[in-house]
Amino acid sequence: MNSIQRAWRSIVRKPVKSFLLFLTVFVISLFLTAGMASKNASIQTQDTARQAVGAGFRLDCNETNRSRRVAEISERIGEGKEGSLEGVHQKKMETAYGTQWIGWTDNSFDSLRLSDIEKLAAVEGISDYNITTCATAVHPVNFDRIEDPDNDQTKDLGGVTLLGNRKMELYSQVLSGNITIQEGRMATADDEDVCVISKELAGQGGLKVGDVLKFNDYHDPEQSPVYEARIVGIYETKQYMSPLMSGDTFRSENVIFTDLRFPEKPEGEEGEPCYEHAYFQVGDVKQYDTVKKAMEAVEIDWERYDFIDRNGDYATMSSNFKDLEKISGLFIIVTFFAGFILLYLIFLFWARNRSRESGILISLGLGKGNVLGQILLEAVLIAVLAFSASVLAGTGVSKAFAGYLVNQQEEQAEIQKNMDADKVAKNFEESEQTVTDVNVSVTKEMVAVCGAGTGILVIMSVGMAGIVILRKKPMEILSE
Amino acid sequence: MILEAKKVSYFYKSQKDKWILQDVDAGFECGKLYAILGASGSGKTTFLSLLAGLDVPVKGEICYDGQPVLTKGLKEHRKHHISLVFQSYNLIDYLNPEENVRLGGNGEPRKLLASIGIREEFWRRNVMHLSGGQQQRVAIARALASDAKVLLADEPTGNLDETTAGEVISLLKRIAHEEGKCVIVVTHSKEMAEEADEVIHMETIKAP
Repeated sequence: MNSIQRAWRSIVRKPVKSFLLFLTVFVISLFLTAGMASKNASIQTQDTARQAVGAGFRLDCNETNRSRRVAEISERIGEGKEGSLEGVHQKKMETAYGTQWIGWTDNSFDSLRLSDIEKLAAVEGISDYNITTCATAVHPVNFDRIEDPDNDQTKDLGGVTLLGNRKMELYSQVLSGNITIQEGRMATADDEDVCVISKELAGQGGLKVGDVLKFNDYHDPEQSPVYEARIVGIYETKQYMSPLMSGDTFRSENVIFTDLRFPEKPEGEEGEPCYEHAYFQVGDVKQYDTVKKAMEAVEIDWERYDFIDRNGDYATMSSNFKDLEKISGLFIIVTFFAGFILLYLIFLFWARNRSRESGILISLGLGKGNVLGQILLEAVLIAVLAFSASVLAGTGVSKAFAGYLVNQQEEQAEIQKNMDADKVAKNFEESEQTVTDVNVSVTKEMVAVCGAGTGILVIMSVGMAGIVILRKKPMEILSE
Repeated sequence: MILEAKKVSYFYKSQKDKWILQDVDAGFECGKLYAILGASGSGKTTFLSLLAGLDVPVKGEICYDGQPVLTKGLKEHRKHHISLVFQSYNLIDYLNPEENVRLGGNGEPRKLLASIGIREEFWRRNVMHLSGGQQQRVAIARALASDAKVLLADEPTGNLDETTAGEVISLLKRIAHEEGKCVIVVTHSKEMAEEADEVIHMETIKAP
């Protein structure tokens, strides 16, 4: 009768002993699998007021470059001369205080170049992009804006602010979760002459989706042409947007979002839009760095621009759970060592308890290696069964385990937040993030690593415990 | 001589100043039943263990068929030259009688079990559920399964009642005389000694 036959009979006919070992190995390998799975878990969080989560880049005008270009063009116009060149204008004015020179720039100078934006948007890895116009003050023709009765309106422009977006859903305040649609929809790239107004503005004027608002140039509200935009949505804000400058024209409730090319019309600059920001969304946040390098390699006049990382959302999510990987790693190590000690004690008990059996087999002419091999074989057979069962149960348990760790992290983060509440001054409201799902998967690699780990544990434990058998003489074993 | 002890001396490592055996000479032939008698502590079981190759003498040597057993190794000696029967049967508890006998060697287990009077209905039972006499018979059958020419038995009737002990003695005698094996039995039993072809008396070594 060979050792395999003996091992199998021992397993089957001593079920309590076998079950105990099965249970121990099952729990150890389950813990190892769960630890590994949660170490690699991706946590899906969702901003409660945000539809899209992603990383991206923002393109703005570089102010230093802008000032330098204004100075250069002004020099080319000539000192003490009136004139206009490449969107820069300078004019002499006679005032009560004497001769004054005024200079200004128009949209053709200030705007981001559409060709540059389109080149960047074509980079592989950019899933979508948005362009936002400069905040454009216009005169409301057929509706009343919201005014603060305590404000001195004589210095105000008496208008509302238009903000054109190629895709409103990618506007920064929408992405951050501050702006959400209460009714209707957002403006899209296919829209023309549409607008989305605040719920306060809608409430005051009894405005609703489908109504048409009229605007014209606030410089000449009586004579300038009037342009119409149909209301397609009503938005609300969690907190008011910071005004561009003082006055009711720029107050948050008076900000009206439009399609990209609408603001230039009532402003009196039709055909000369003013693009202030461009936002490029990265499809796969894991490719963020690669995409960034590819974008930086695009040949445009980079001196004109600031290229800004907008990886904040992704970073925030990651940082919230940065300890998860560390805790899981620690859990794996603890499980490994605790498992080794537990298995060693079990096999030591086995070896001592089976000392007589070992002596009998040795007296029958079997080698010590053969006897120890039988114990190892029993352990390996049980471990294989236990490991297989743990793989089957692994995904569910891993998910529960990772979920538990994430909850712990959330609670810890909440406690920390409360502790820091009085220490950090903030002028914004943090977007609220909740964990909606924890993606845990047990991969083939994990199964292989966990299997190898469990196997090593079992072999090490049997080997260490087997010293009890190996170091004794058959006569000593039998006389015990 | 199939088995010989030549000037064999032995002490346990834990009691190096206390000799258990000193210059023991003995020779054993096939076809005979030997009984080793002696008081407790006289070294009977130790001597049997040395003959069985479970340990090596401190001095002297054990020879099988004229060759020192260490020449081929103790494991080889245990596997092919001798078979053992213990007082406490020493059966493997998770194997049934048939499987226990199969452990002993290439002998046909069922035939052996039948030949020593174990009925078929017991062949596949849990050995722990057999009576003491039945367990000892299974242990003897296991020893017979081996091709070994020497059967060593340590107090084989020690745990058995008189009738069963008598049956086991007859069985061992038959094995020696009919199967031509050399049967060496360590015993306190007068009946066994009376049935033996040769009796060896061992005396306790007195401390100097």
